[in-house]
Amino acid sequence: MSENQPLQYRIQEEIAELAASVNQIVTKFKELQNPLEESREKVPKATEQLDKISEQTEAATHQMLDRVEKIVQQVEDSKKGLDEIKDCASDGRTGDISALADDLIEKANVTCNDAYTIMDALQFQDITAQQMNHAASLLEDIEFRLQNIMGALKDQPDDKADDENGRDRKARVYDPHADLFDKKTDQSAIDDLFARKG
Amino acid sequence: MADLKILAVDDSPTMRRIIINTLKRAGYSDVLEASDGRDALAKMKVEKVNFVITDWNMPEMDGLAFVTALRSMGEYKSLPILMVTTRSVKDDIMEALKAGVNNYIVKPFTPDTLKEKIEQVLAG
Repeated sequence: MSENQPLQYRIQEEIAELAASVNQIVTKFKELQNPLEESREKVPKATEQLDKISEQTEAATHQMLDRVEKIVQQVEDSKKGLDEIKDCASDGRTGDISALADDLIEKANVTCNDAYTIMDALQFQDITAQQMNHAASLLEDIEFRLQNIMGALKDQPDDKADDENGRDRKARVYDPHADLFDKKTDQSAIDDLFARKG
Repeated sequence: MADLKILAVDDSPTMRRIIINTLKRAGYSDVLEASDGRDALAKMKVEKVNFVITDWNMPEMDGLAFVTALRSMGEYKSLPILMVTTRSVKDDIMEALKAGVNNYIVKPFTPDTLKEKIEQVLAG
């Protein structure tokens, strides 16, 4: 029995080392759990933002197309009006020209207003740019966490992956609630807040 | 209206163009532009401005820090400031109000709203 004791000790030591290694692995996996959980939560948020951008861009584009179609129709009508003026002039019906010209001026004013409406609708670009920055920021966070996980699995320092990428993160400025259609507080409620202060 | 010099501060060049065009349509043709709070402060050192329209989310110096900086300077304590931003959460609006903005518009805005708020701020 006493001859076996050193072997028994050696086996005990081996088992203790093995247990310590298993504990280290378990600890490492527990450390990886949080970044994985956070990454999992951020993917749907980024997807949601990208879907919103797609929907809102399409809606804004349709609004502008409606106006463009109206402008094209008004220009066609104006061309017809100019032809009529030309006919009136050649037939000597000068009395009708004034009314036709008034009609054309009115059409030009409507066209001008429609062009301004298109300009106003272009505000969607600022809003979707912020939504895209939000989505990009979420994706960059996921990338960063995955790089850390890779580093931990390879037993390398966390910043190794960043160096490998060799690029700096762009500073992103955005409102996470930016939305083309959904305003959390409407203008009349804002006016009330300022009136109370006033 | 004729001698009103407006400074439009927004990091989006598209928004600056839209704001400037809207202002010109409303009769305000003397408009300066800046891309963030720091740029705006630098321009205000060179040119006298008597109305500011500012965005909130901007790099370098955001709109809130810009307004706070202006209000801490004696010469700009009563300068009319209108904030035009996507931020529509009530707590944000309250924060802007505390910082010293005179009025607040949430993007996207209509030309009528912009004109109306400028007139309200000028009327005091």
